[in-house]
Order: sequence, then structure tokens, then C-alpha cells
Amino acid sequence: MSIQEYNGGSVVAMVGKDCVAIACDLRLGNQATGIAMNFEKVFPVNDTLYYGLPGLATDVYTLREQLRFRVNMYRMKEEREITPETFTHLLSSTLYEKRFGPYFLEPVIAGIAPPTAANPNPQPYVSTLDSIGCITTPKDFAVAGTATDKLYGAAEGLWEPDLEPEDLFETISQTLLNAVDRDALSGWGAIVHVITKDKVITRTLRSRMD
Amino acid sequence: MAATGVAPNNIGFDFSNYARNEFLGARLGAQAKTTSTGTTIVGLKYGGGDSGDEEGICLGADTRATGGPIVADKNCEKIHYLTPHIRCCGAGTAADTEYVTNLISSNLELHSLSQGRQVRVVTAMTMLKQYLYRYQGHVGAYLVVGGVDSTGPQLFTVHAHGSTDKLPYVTMGSGSLAAMAVFESAYKEHLTKAEAIALVARAIRAGVFNDLGSGSNVDVSVITKAGTETLRNYETPNERGIKSRDYKFRRGTTAWLKENVRDLVVSEEVKVTMGAGKAQQGTTDRPVAVGAGPGGEEGMDLDA
Amino acid sequence: MECSFGITGKDYVLLASDMSAGRSILQFKSDENKIKELGPHLAMAYGGEPGDTNNFADYIERNMRLYHIRHHHALLPHAASSWIRRSLADSIRSRRPYSVNLLLAGFDTTDDTPHLYWIDYLGTKAVVPYAAHGMGMHVSLSTMDKYWHPNQDRRDGVDVLKKAIAEAQHRLSIKFTFNAIIIDKDGIHTVDLAAEDPIGKIEAEKAAKAEAEAAAAAAAAAPPAAAPEASAPVAAAA
Repeated sequence: MSIQEYNGGSVVAMVGKDCVAIACDLRLGNQATGIAMNFEKVFPVNDTLYYGLPGLATDVYTLREQLRFRVNMYRMKEEREITPETFTHLLSSTLYEKRFGPYFLEPVIAGIAPPTAANPNPQPYVSTLDSIGCITTPKDFAVAGTATDKLYGAAEGLWEPDLEPEDLFETISQTLLNAVDRDALSGWGAIVHVITKDKVITRTLRSRMD
Repeated sequence: MAATGVAPNNIGFDFSNYARNEFLGARLGAQAKTTSTGTTIVGLKYGGGDSGDEEGICLGADTRATGGPIVADKNCEKIHYLTPHIRCCGAGTAADTEYVTNLISSNLELHSLSQGRQVRVVTAMTMLKQYLYRYQGHVGAYLVVGGVDSTGPQLFTVHAHGSTDKLPYVTMGSGSLAAMAVFESAYKEHLTKAEAIALVARAIRAGVFNDLGSGSNVDVSVITKAGTETLRNYETPNERGIKSRDYKFRRGTTAWLKENVRDLVVSEEVKVTMGAGKAQQGTTDRPVAVGAGPGGEEGMDLDA
Repeated sequence: MECSFGITGKDYVLLASDMSAGRSILQFKSDENKIKELGPHLAMAYGGEPGDTNNFADYIERNMRLYHIRHHHALLPHAASSWIRRSLADSIRSRRPYSVNLLLAGFDTTDDTPHLYWIDYLGTKAVVPYAAHGMGMHVSLSTMDKYWHPNQDRRDGVDVLKKAIAEAQHRLSIKFTFNAIIIDKDGIHTVDLAAEDPIGKIEAEKAAKAEAEAAAAAAAAAPPAAAPEASAPVAAAA
């Protein structure tokens, strides 16, 4: 049992047609013992940018507080919202700063940048980082957490390009649900956010509770 | 407080979690998983002599990143930019190769600005080796540095502990043996540019198909006095097949308990009201994004 | 070897802890109070490495008191939980971290809601309706899961607590004695688990206290005739 698997939990994000989705399970465990079934791992940065932090729960809180501070500083200094790309690099350097004493987390980021004059038609964006801040920017989906292996399998089979928001919801939900059902350390409920340019749909899923 | 304070003047690494992780390691076992580039990277000198082509450097890399036995990225970029005429292939811990090359690239830019001329490849190599030596191999970057400067084409390897080699053809990473076998059998001096690219691609392919840590595509960079030619995904011998049918779920497959739709389109309407504090008809409360956070119901609210 | 429970209900939160103190299989003490009052509506049950526990509990208690003195109001449960979690998360990054696990229970008087937090030595925090630490985590969580329901009244809450304790006594080879408290809008009250009707007892005590206070208030407000007598010695001294 590694430290990253101490509390359990998984996150998955997917790209759709002019939309992205990010989802997580709700379990917080103490090794094999379940402690809570309301532990969300996906948080908003702004209207159309969310990130997930699966891993050691104490670091989920600590890094979240740290990022809230840094994003607020960015917002005040720049007087604009941070874009998904910039946020990914902010998170990367935050993690790499602790190269020799890392947070035990594997963040996943999903969002759409706000349209600007320079970039009037921003594309949906998904990225993932390892615990020391190495960025991967896939075109399709990103997975992390204790159900990583199963999520890769499910997502690789189910994802397809240009899914509409409602279809993306079904695909990401089924990917997550079926993957965490094969993972003893994840599950106990799930929550999905589908982000489009003009709305965010958040749904709490019905799932197995074992 | 070192652990939580965000010191703006803090340069370099923050060791505040180190003691904790040592303690945790002793108590719970294991270390953090990191992405590594179990890699094939190569470089060679070509041109000159009777080849008819000008002298240059040809660099090559595969595009697989791994996390343990999992392929973390099927098409990552391992040929990093240092200066317009110097590139650097990275193997080892992915984050380290990324950050080391970024840092040195910035310092080289500052160096060339202060000196008013193009930096030499040896300078890049020396800055890299001195940085890596300082961290005694803990910054796990294994590099192939190549470029063309005022002294001609230059090619080096840099190991994570700080040692370097200067050779006409080099390979590194887990696929270095497979790639070197190709070079040893086919390399000769004064190759033409086309021959050089073909040989580099063949060496990378040897890694891609014979080393589990390497895979996917072949990236190539060709550097001459004129500049750098980047051949991203020069060969794609592992294209994914097209799915013969789709696996869309019928809408409504997934049962959900609660829904919150947050409309981001702000529609405002001016209403004339009489008297202060009077209830305004026609206005509705906008639901806040769920954002409950760890622990559910009472996390921090959305900042926006 | 320790065991503590926390249970929330409609308008209260219960906290119970064993009273043993010892090392390994030896028990040195069976009347150690391991529940600390941190404010008028806040308390925690703590356990872990002997020494660390009391030191850390005192540290938290004094800081909560300091906040109360400085700001003229106590930290609300949610804010207190964040501060305590942060203390542990900072501690775990130090050379000699505190090895303390705790259940934090509080009543938010601003919106009349009970709060319960499960916090461990790593700085992990969970917001939960019922919780257990120590041996209770292994044997009694399932009992609480079965019998707990939202909005249960105090007597139902005490019943669930008694069932959880009975399960621990039944399954574990060590026999614990427990003390318990209940926190509601009126503050913290001791729960006499041995009593026939612990809640009835607390309500009787509350009623008696209210009566005594009313009587005292009436006495203080009543005869203005007492005033000259009270001022007489002052005048004499002058």
C-alpha cells in the first residue's frame, strides 16, 4: 500500500465537442476502512475551469488552499481569469517546487478558456500532472487515482471524438462507474461536471455502495 | 512558516515536505509515483567531407512516456528547445527533463543577451552538467545536447550525475542499446542529410519496437548553421486503427440523484421598483456551482 | 488501544471516548478524561501517542481560548476544524510530528446545526454524520451505519451510541469504560451513560439551572431597599 493509495479515490476528465467533463468518486478511506462518502475531489477554479486532486487526503486540503491563494493572487494582479493552460503551469510549478518532498497527488484539469479578442474560439482543454508536476496534455481523456488502470481501459474503449454534452455525460459516467466498481479503494458515490461555454451541469450519480 | 508560506523570493526547491515524507515512508511505505520517459533518444553528426551537404546535427526521439508499466502519454515531446540552434533530447524523470531544459534555456537566453552573441553548445552542456552535478543525480535528467555554433556542429550527452561525453553519434535512455546497435552497424562519417535522418529514424524505430519503455512515433530535429528544422512525428508507425462502430450510450443510461445546472449566461433586466429594500419581483436566485469540496457540504465557496 | 465515537443528530452532537490510559497491553489508568472542551459549543475526543495527545490537546485548547478572548467570540466549528487540521498538517511536515487522531464536535449557534469532523494525524479531515477512531473504527462503524438516521432526536442518538459502545465491549478483548458529552444550543453537557434516561437527567439539570438563574435574577432585581445597605460600607470607608 503506497501513500498515494492510503485514502483511495479517482478522477477522470474527457474532451467533448465544445465541452469538457470531469468526474470523481466520493470515497474517503483509511486504507481499507471507509470513513466518508462525501469527499469531493473536484473543485472549481472559475466558471469554466475545474480541477481534480486524487491522492493523499491531507494534501488535497493543503494543495487546494495553496492553489486558492495563488489563483486569487493571479486574479488580482492580472485582473482577469486564469486560463486552463496557465493554471496547468501554475500547478506544475507549485508541484515541482516540492520536487524532493512532493505532495502525493496526481491532479487532473478540465476547462474551456474564456473567449478573448486574441482567442475568440477557445477549445476544450484537459491535462494531467504527476506528483512532481510533469504535464501531459491528451487530446481525448485524462485519468488519475487508485482506479487509474481500470479507468484507462474503460476510457480507451468508450471515448470517441466530438461527443455532445449529454453524450459526454453518459460516456464519462459509465467510464467512472464501471472503473471504480473494480477498485476497492474508490467508489461510494460519484459526481460529474460537464462544462460548456455557457453552462456547467453537475450531477451526483447513483452508484454501488460497496 | 516554511511549510505554508508562499515566499515570493523563494528560489529553488522547497524541502518542507521532505521530513514528512521520510516519516510517512517509514510508516506507510513506498514513494511517490512519477512519470518517466523510459526512452530512446539519439543524436549524430553528419555532413561535411565529400557528402555534399553542410555539416549538421540530427537528433531523434520516441514519444512514449510511462508511469510504471502504464503508458502515461502516447505522443509526448522529448526534443526540448534550448536556443534557436541548440536542442536537447531528454530521458529519465519527465518533470526533471522538462524543468532542467526550461531553466537552462532561460539562462542561455539571458547569457546570449548579455554577451551579445549566440551561445555555444559547450556552454549549454556546461550549464546543464553543473546544475545536475549540484543535485548529485537526484534531478534525474539524462540528456543528449546537440547544436551548431561558431565552432561547428557539436554533440554531447549529459548524465544525471553530471558526467558528459563528446561523441560523433550517441544514444541514451532505456532503448539506447537497441539504437546504438543500429548506429554501430551503419554509422559512418560524412553522411548526407537524408541518410542521417533515415539512420536516426531507424535507430529510434529499433528502440520503439525492441524496448518496452519506448514506443509510438519518431520525432526528428535537424540542426544546421541556418537553424533548426523540427520534424515532429516524422514517422508514425503505430497509428491507432479506426473503431468500426461507436459505443455511445443511450441518453438516460446513467441514473443520477441530484442535478445542478449553473447558467453562465448573465441576463439582466432593469426593473423599476418603489421604495428601498422592497422585494423585487421577477428576480431569481442563481444557484452557486456545487464546489462543496473535500468533506462535501461545507467546503469553500466558488471564488469567482 | 483506544476507542472514541461521535454521532450527530437533529440539533445536537454526541461525543464519547474510552477512559483508559496505558501502553501496549498494560492499562495504567481507567478514569482518564480524553474529551476536551474547546469552547462553549466545541469539544474534541482525542487519542494517539501518549504525551503527544495531552500536549496537542492543551495547545489547541489554549489557542481556541486565545481566539475567544481576542475576538470576543469563539471560532465556529467549521473554522476550528480548519485550524486544527492545519496544525496537524504543519506538524506532520516537522521533524517530530504529533501523532494525534481526534473527533471534533461542535454546534454552530449561527444556524443551529451540529458538526462532526473526523481528523487524523496526517491532517486528513472528513465531515461526517457519525464517526469512530481507534478500535471503534473496526467494530462499531457498521453498527452506527445500520442504526443512525438523519434528524434523529437525542434519545435515539444516545441509543445508537449505546449500541456502538456495546458492540465495542462485545467484540474487543479489552474492556473500556466510557464517558460522553452532548453539545446542543445550550452548550456542553455530560452524558451519564449509566443512567436510566441520560437525556431526561440532562433536561432535569437544565430545568433546575434555569430555575435557579431565574430566582437569582429575580432576587437581584427585586428590593431597592438593599441598595443603601450595600453602599453603606463604601461610605464608611470613605
